[in-house]
Amino acid sequence: MYLLTELDFTNKNNKKYIIYILKYINIMNEYDVIVVGGGHAGLEAAYAVDRIGLSCALVTLRKQSIGQMSCNPAIGGLGKSHIVREIDAMGGLMPIATDMSGIQYRTLNTRKGDAVQALRVQCDRKLYKQAAQKIIKKTNIEIIEGEVEDLVVEGKKVKGVVTDKNIVKGKRTILTTGTFLNGRMYTGEEIETGGRSGDLSSIPLSKKLYQLDIPMGRLKTGTPPRIKLSSININLMEEQPGERPTPWMSLNERPKKHQKQLSCFITRTNKTTHEIIKKNTHLSAMYSGNIVGIGPRYCPSIEDKVNRFKNKEGHQIFIEPEGINKDLIYPNGVSTSLPKDIQLEFIQSIRGMRNAIITEYGYAVEYDFIDPRIIKPTLEAKFLQGFYLAGQINGTTGYEEAAAQGLIAGINAANSIKKKDEFILERDEAYIGVLINDLTNHGITEPYRMFTSRAEHRLLLSQNNAEQRLLLKAHNLGLISSKRKEEFLLKEKKYKKFFNSILKKTKTKTFIDNKNKTKHLKENKNLYQLLSRPDVNPNRLYKPKKHEKSLYDRSVVEIKYKGYIEKQLREIKKTKKQNNKKIPTSFDYSSIEGLSNEAKEKLYQYKPRTIGDANIIEGITPAAINLILIYLKKAELLEQNA
Amino acid sequence: MSVVFALATPPAKSAICVFRVSGPGCFRGLSKLIKGSKYTIGNFHVKSFFGATGLIDKAGLVVFSGPNSYTGEDSFEVYAHGGLAVMSSFVKAFKGVGFEEAVGGEFTKRAFLNNKISLHEAEAVVDLIDAVDEKEVMLAGRSLFGGLSRDIVELAESIDLLRVRVEAEIDFSDEGNEYFDESLVDDLLIVKNNVVSFINGCVNKKNRFQKNNILLVGPVNSGKSSVFNRLLGFERAIVSDMPGTTRDIISSELFYESNTFSVFDSAGLRNTKDFVEEAGIKNTLNEIKNTDLVVGVFECYKKSVIDEFKNLAEENKFVCIQNKIDVNAKEEDFFDCCVSAKTGEGFDILKEIIVNCFDSKADKKKYNYLVRERHENIFKGVVFSLSSACEGLDQSTSLELVAEDLKNARSGFDELVGKKFSDSLLGDIFKSYCIGK
Repeated sequence: MYLLTELDFTNKNNKKYIIYILKYINIMNEYDVIVVGGGHAGLEAAYAVDRIGLSCALVTLRKQSIGQMSCNPAIGGLGKSHIVREIDAMGGLMPIATDMSGIQYRTLNTRKGDAVQALRVQCDRKLYKQAAQKIIKKTNIEIIEGEVEDLVVEGKKVKGVVTDKNIVKGKRTILTTGTFLNGRMYTGEEIETGGRSGDLSSIPLSKKLYQLDIPMGRLKTGTPPRIKLSSININLMEEQPGERPTPWMSLNERPKKHQKQLSCFITRTNKTTHEIIKKNTHLSAMYSGNIVGIGPRYCPSIEDKVNRFKNKEGHQIFIEPEGINKDLIYPNGVSTSLPKDIQLEFIQSIRGMRNAIITEYGYAVEYDFIDPRIIKPTLEAKFLQGFYLAGQINGTTGYEEAAAQGLIAGINAANSIKKKDEFILERDEAYIGVLINDLTNHGITEPYRMFTSRAEHRLLLSQNNAEQRLLLKAHNLGLISSKRKEEFLLKEKKYKKFFNSILKKTKTKTFIDNKNKTKHLKENKNLYQLLSRPDVNPNRLYKPKKHEKSLYDRSVVEIKYKGYIEKQLREIKKTKKQNNKKIPTSFDYSSIEGLSNEAKEKLYQYKPRTIGDANIIEGITPAAINLILIYLKKAELLEQNA
Repeated sequence: MSVVFALATPPAKSAICVFRVSGPGCFRGLSKLIKGSKYTIGNFHVKSFFGATGLIDKAGLVVFSGPNSYTGEDSFEVYAHGGLAVMSSFVKAFKGVGFEEAVGGEFTKRAFLNNKISLHEAEAVVDLIDAVDEKEVMLAGRSLFGGLSRDIVELAESIDLLRVRVEAEIDFSDEGNEYFDESLVDDLLIVKNNVVSFINGCVNKKNRFQKNNILLVGPVNSGKSSVFNRLLGFERAIVSDMPGTTRDIISSELFYESNTFSVFDSAGLRNTKDFVEEAGIKNTLNEIKNTDLVVGVFECYKKSVIDEFKNLAEENKFVCIQNKIDVNAKEEDFFDCCVSAKTGEGFDILKEIIVNCFDSKADKKKYNYLVRERHENIFKGVVFSLSSACEGLDQSTSLELVAEDLKNARSGFDELVGKKFSDSLLGDIFKSYCIGK
């Protein structure tokens, strides 16, 4: 069919024209789900739809860019490996691709407890992309190259997308366009359009979204310059080798062996570096006033760091290898939008970098995001049926956060076609639940990144118990095979047996405490009772046989957390029923006597959907919640009597 | 909704006491209490009520079927004899069949939520449950509370500062920053002590005007608990069970000659290395500070032991009694009073002594703030969490558990100064430390 499209055009004399173009468009078969974007959100969404057994088309600008890591080449880390393991428990792609490309594994927070330990994996950027593409190739996902310019909207329902070449029809559409919406890159005074160096940005689509009158905002993020490995002297830096024995990210599907393992390196900025940056800060794009987007507080540019923390004599730079046999490193910690010559000058002032050759300069990227409060916890847009949004477009940052949303959007798009229930994870079930709950309730004020402290039920959500939390749910959704489920159940059975037969039956009268002193008890106690004591050193209490090692480790953690977790569970149970009570969007808070004005303002601003959502708004007290409950009831009564 | 019960009449000795029980499923519990004996809805019956230890009382019973009841739920009322022992037994029996003690206003709230009262009355319920935001009562009423609001905000913020350091160490340990050193332990102790001294400056209305606090102390096995029970005339606490059951202190109210006393039974004191016992002893020592009269219970005279306890009582009035005179010889010269908890001998004299102590008590403690009992309990919960955090750091427990204790401690102040949300905590971390690789 032929399609008439409009194009705004401004000539040299600033005269505006509208050019109408009539072009031939090929109408393709209808798919169950169309995923727009081949980044981490898009991949996970498409892969989930495929596993559930529905047809899926993945529309992307460039086939070769599928699975690209556009920021630093690492997966996991604090708060993030938790998400990856949750994706793993639900059969996702990210953990598998990570293990296929991992060149350094390191567990962080090893001196702290299980709940806050996190695995970080450096990946070979190229191998990761290849791994992701290889996994997708094995599926029935159809990849369509093209730029999405428009949505097919009928009434309030999205029925597909229009690319520059095709109309692709789909029952559900998932938009995962990342930073590509109206992206602009800044290096000093230079401005380019684009979402990632070397790629295009999707201006027509963002225009379309603006036309739909969706609340949107602008965010920014920065990247550091990329440097030739051969041009730096790693002997002058602190080496950080990987962990031995090398662990795996995925608990399920792994390659036969690890890739060649590489080291990372640590160096620091110094006084000279800081002087160069201070002298030239006014030249930075971030300080020139060109950028309106808000940057993340936890990922400041080196300009910001130097100016805000004036007393700090050096800032750590983490040198991440880009890949095996790749002459390139990613200096994590010096993202900048200073002019190119200044970038080179300050980089060369850093220890070990005197002769550094920059292959690609750092830049700040500014992009549009959609206010995530207009999407439901299923990630479907409230204003358009069948239209899902996932990933950085919702204001998050990070591969893991994006992938998690992709997974949830994919599941819900598929579920809604199959007329199954919505799939929503709770805050006490998964970091993914925390992420989506935070986004859809509070919106964002900066690019949203996961931290363990965002999860109030942190102790329940270890990276090591993701399967126990999510695997059966994943099986019910059709995301994982029955074989995997059976294996899991067997493992659980073994654990239970170990717990009841070894822990409860092995008894002793003496133990060694944390300070390595032997203590004597009045009577025999079993291992379970002893592990409940805070002073017992579990490593010296019981020597597990080889096959018992993981079982024992798990029991030590579970027993240690027991009291705290029971307390949390009691609280969750207590509030659950009340929390599920819905608040109508039109609810009149102003009529509530005794509610402070501050609380009223907040409630009007956030429009909580449920009492539970209201409960997590800053400034809303338990007393205020009581008042809302009572007035909700009152409103119901009024309605009945009317 | 759970099944809740409450004493509808005052918790004092009277001719009759009325319990109300309400909630879906309460009839099942009732059947257990009256051993399946039959009743008809709306009629007055006299039934035998049984607890775990046997017959409690022959009492009146009226059963209401929802929605035709005050609360709109299935409910019943029990009209029992008004002795404290009977009340206590009923409370125990109700809890034994899974009923929960109702919080204030709960029955009216249920009635309202089940459409049982009019809109006009409902407005009154709003007033009842929370006339004004708690925060406003506590913090806006500066004339009444003086520096209370400032103090609480400061305490909450001092906990926030600790949390910033601990959470930063958890979430940003790979950033190459030093978030804290050994000084964290000292800072934590300072915060804890500040909260403790703040609490010592508070008195709740109930305690201030009605109760005189008596704490029983003594060596292990001197029979404190028996003296406690004998003093009260029944086993353990009734409706005034102190929340915060984590403490090993058991308290109850004693009514004697129109005076109300709060009696606290403490864990036995001895030199010990046992961790759990140590915690109990700490509680006892804290409790002494809030006490008006310390009663030392001993089996026989040993000067050094008695002196030790006398010293613990500090400026509090100390009464020294000998227990178990049914088996040991009386040593009247050395003790203020000699009793036998087993036979009850000597208790009349003991009660007289106690009453006289309070009458002549000239030097009343000076308090800074008058707070509600609920708030006082909240503050005590804060101290408990902070102590647990201190112990955690001391025992080098994993940091996430210390973080959890600090979070719990801070949450005690939530309803007074507002919640500290993780995002705002993260903001403080980013302000204090240069985060960001």
